[in-house]
Amino acid sequence: MYWGGNPAECHPRHFTKYTLMQKSKFLPRGRKDRTMILVDIRETKSGGAADIFLQIRPGKDFEVLTILRAILKGQHVNESAIAETGLTLEQLTDFIDRAKKAKFGCMFFGMGLSMTRGKHMNSAALLTLAAELNAFTKFVAMPMRGHGNVTGADVIMRWQTGFPFGITFNRGYPRYNPGEFSTVDVLVRGDTDAALILGADPGATMPQPAIDHLARIPTIVLDPKVTHTSRLARVHITTSVAGISAPGTAYRMDEIPLPLKPALKSPYPTDQEVVRRINEAVARKSHWIPDGGPMTILQR
Amino acid sequence: MSLNVINNATCTFCGCVCDDIQLHFDETRIHEAKKACVLGKAWFLNHTADHEYPDALIDGHEATVDEAIEAAATFLHDAHMPLIYGLSNTTCEAQREAVSLADRLGGLLDSHTSL
Ligand code: SF4
Repeated sequence: MYWGGNPAECHPRHFTKYTLMQKSKFLPRGRKDRTMILVDIRETKSGGAADIFLQIRPGKDFEVLTILRAILKGQHVNESAIAETGLTLEQLTDFIDRAKKAKFGCMFFGMGLSMTRGKHMNSAALLTLAAELNAFTKFVAMPMRGHGNVTGADVIMRWQTGFPFGITFNRGYPRYNPGEFSTVDVLVRGDTDAALILGADPGATMPQPAIDHLARIPTIVLDPKVTHTSRLARVHITTSVAGISAPGTAYRMDEIPLPLKPALKSPYPTDQEVVRRINEAVARKSHWIPDGGPMTILQR
Repeated sequence: MSLNVINNATCTFCGCVCDDIQLHFDETRIHEAKKACVLGKAWFLNHTADHEYPDALIDGHEATVDEAIEAAATFLHDAHMPLIYGLSNTTCEAQREAVSLADRLGGLLDSHTSL
């Protein structure tokens, strides 16, 4: 099941390589042994691959998910509540019947769910539905990750700090609070007074007040190209391209680490090397806590 | 002219991270990326090994990498609340260095996930 995503255009090989076409021991007929349901607010190219397409009203994801959970628990659902979602009771009941009958279900959710009205509450509702379906059969849920190694960022931060993103070290140990320490919020409030940006181009994607703040403070950019963000930065360092001219590891969205096999030699240093050297240069300066003593490279 | 070949190369353009790509390349560019989808092909074929951009820029002027690293370290060290952000289109090895730097700076650390 795909919810609020368009893999046919954004993750073109998702169907063929992972979810729909592969033949396996328990699914010897490949595509024929599987059912795909697509939930979205409009029909996209991915609709062509789906057995069932459920078109819901924009902004009604949370309501649909909550109704599905109610049906799963055998509770009565108000007709007017169903009418608001753009679906019928038959469609919703059919969804739950199929999910319960499946041997192994997987829900993939995209930004159409996690970035629209309700945001992380939507994702939480979908994850809860997947968890509750486990009373009947095996079910999992997974976000459709965009940019190459953003999954790796989650994994590495979890490994090193215990938290996946939105972290501060300002008390000397990691603390986590999205909304307080997440970048857009920090920038829009104007809290931060220097920024190092790598592997991203917020100058092209963030809301304007956040970009304005990046232009006000000393911003440092590491990127293979001179980006939008580089143009408003005080310092830009060109680095090699992960997977093309820089070696290393990247995580697939299901958290499988894969080695990169760069084909080209780059005239530029890697991100890893530049960040390490900045780290060493900072280590030669005084500690940020006055009595913190000299900095040593402890974590290497 | 014969091209070098790498089998089972990894594409990092989207979250699928397909690891079955066959790359045909010479010194400067990749000529073919077999098995990759349209997005992956464009990603592999668009990059070259050329020196297209300046090594580093400080306030819009060309600089050496050493100067830029020193300037970056000074800005980050002088800040009360430095932020390290992004970490998507890069390797796990670089991400780990970035965590270490944020720790040393007592700063903020965040990725695309928070958007
Ligand atoms: S080949 Fe296509 S589907 Fe696979 S990782 Fe690259 S862009 Fe994504």
